[in-house]
Amino acid sequence: MTEATSASSVTISTSGDAALRVSGVLPDREATWRLMHHLARALDASRVPGVACVIPTYDAVLIEVDPHEVAVDRLREFVGVLAESIDADHPLTELPRVFEVPVLYDLDGELDLRSVASAQGLQIEDIVRLHGEPEYVIRCLGAPGGSPMLDGPAFPQPVQRLSSPRAHVPAGMVSVAGRQATITPAPAPGGWPLIGRTPLTVLDLGSEPFVPYEPGDIIRFRQIDIDEYQALLGTRMVAR
Amino acid sequence: MTSGQLRMVEAGSTQVTDLGRSRGPRYGVPVNGALDQRSASIANTLVGNARNAPLLEITALDAEFVADVDILVAVSGADGTLLVGGSARPWNQPVSVRAGEPFAVRNLQRGLRAYLAVRGSFDVPLLLGSCAPDSVLGFGGRVSAGEALSLRASTAPLINAHFGAELYRLTLPAAPQSFVVDVTDGPDIDDFGATADRLFAAPYTVTPTSNHIGVRMTGSSLPERRAHGEVLSRGVPVGAVEVPPGTELLVLHRGRGVTAGYPVLAVVTTTSLDTLAQVRPGQQVRFRRVSDAQAATAIRAQRAELDALRSRVESIFAALQQPHNTTNGRILS
Repeated sequence: MTEATSASSVTISTSGDAALRVSGVLPDREATWRLMHHLARALDASRVPGVACVIPTYDAVLIEVDPHEVAVDRLREFVGVLAESIDADHPLTELPRVFEVPVLYDLDGELDLRSVASAQGLQIEDIVRLHGEPEYVIRCLGAPGGSPMLDGPAFPQPVQRLSSPRAHVPAGMVSVAGRQATITPAPAPGGWPLIGRTPLTVLDLGSEPFVPYEPGDIIRFRQIDIDEYQALLGTRMVAR
Repeated sequence: MTSGQLRMVEAGSTQVTDLGRSRGPRYGVPVNGALDQRSASIANTLVGNARNAPLLEITALDAEFVADVDILVAVSGADGTLLVGGSARPWNQPVSVRAGEPFAVRNLQRGLRAYLAVRGSFDVPLLLGSCAPDSVLGFGGRVSAGEALSLRASTAPLINAHFGAELYRLTLPAAPQSFVVDVTDGPDIDDFGATADRLFAAPYTVTPTSNHIGVRMTGSSLPERRAHGEVLSRGVPVGAVEVPPGTELLVLHRGRGVTAGYPVLAVVTTTSLDTLAQVRPGQQVRFRRVSDAQAATAIRAQRAELDALRSRVESIFAALQQPHNTTNGRILS
């Protein structure tokens, strides 16, 4: 059985000889999410020898180590102490940046907007409206290449993933799945239903990070038509 | 500043890589890099390079090269034949190759991947500090026949003037002979209930759909997820053993998507990930459960072996640079 260390705010499990999984166990989902990202930042700032990469998501942090440099069981205690020292009520970002993302929705039925709408028992206009309403908080960065992972729009039901994933999803696709939403910065295979596309260029391989936003920043979607799409094509995504 | 070029005569399935993009996963970018990290480290160490220096990963197929300067190379990983100017030269040893002399890696067997390091390494583009190809981002990739790679250094031949033989033979840490794959319990093993033990009951056969992202296997009886409910996407480690819907077991390797929502049944140890990188489709592996402490001991033992090899190689290179050795061999430039 995998040993787990429990503190009041986190459970820490070994995930092989080169990683620890820290799971947040605070009763409040938002506080758990903040705790995970504060913990990741604190670990980065403390520059622990042997820690190769820290990956915070919604309610967990994966800490990858170089097992030649540090044993995960040694690290576990330090991480537990660090987690206890964090104020999970502290905002993740004092002044979140807002990114406005223009979207050419799939009104012509070329992508999956129609099937998403019919599965929800809604018109495609309702899906477009619901998707465009929220101020989305970027929860974490995901595959491929820094996708902004967002809590999904207020659809009546979770969105079913495609039964057969696409082998190639181009960059700039706007998609939803389950209770989540995202934009794909890089072309990749994918099983999320696509409801539109943005003309913005999200990924810049010449900079680090590759993407202009970080967890805690805000995304808003704005409907555009084909003319505006063409005019904006290739524009770099920047904060408003 | 470059010191010549290595040209691909026959490319096979070869790419320039290193030990991986360790800064990538926090941005959702897989770590990638040499799938057999141990063999890549050995090849680099044998020619006096840093463990993480760019080198060539040669998968399954023959490859042939020619450099326009004198170089020192070493090949490690799967067994095979190293031919220099048509003559067989030792595997797992530093070998001098003269300018214009074609050399080839052929007949890979008892494994899938060989690593060819050149003393001084290659001058190649980096992304987040690594040259490792990323198939999703479209960075790097296979080299093609005719393509030339920039070398960072040339190395005058290290040949015994009297016998034409190598000046030294190094003893290598023994490579694993069988495909036993050690795993530690994963953080979600409880989700599989008693079916988790099926992982250890019988061998699994690697299927041809396996690649750098994941090794897929079939077996007589797969563990089954007993717990249900949606899991939020979270970071998954390289080596995670998952049971996706279908009939295959999946072991994530270094090209894995960084986040996923599947429960992690077990995690292949760092040393056994190297073993897994050498298994060919159709071959069988047997999983063995080890404790976290056993896994940590294995990785420390491997590191000690690599350090000892580095120390011997450094002694040899230091000795070769002493003036009194120039009567039997030639000094390093």
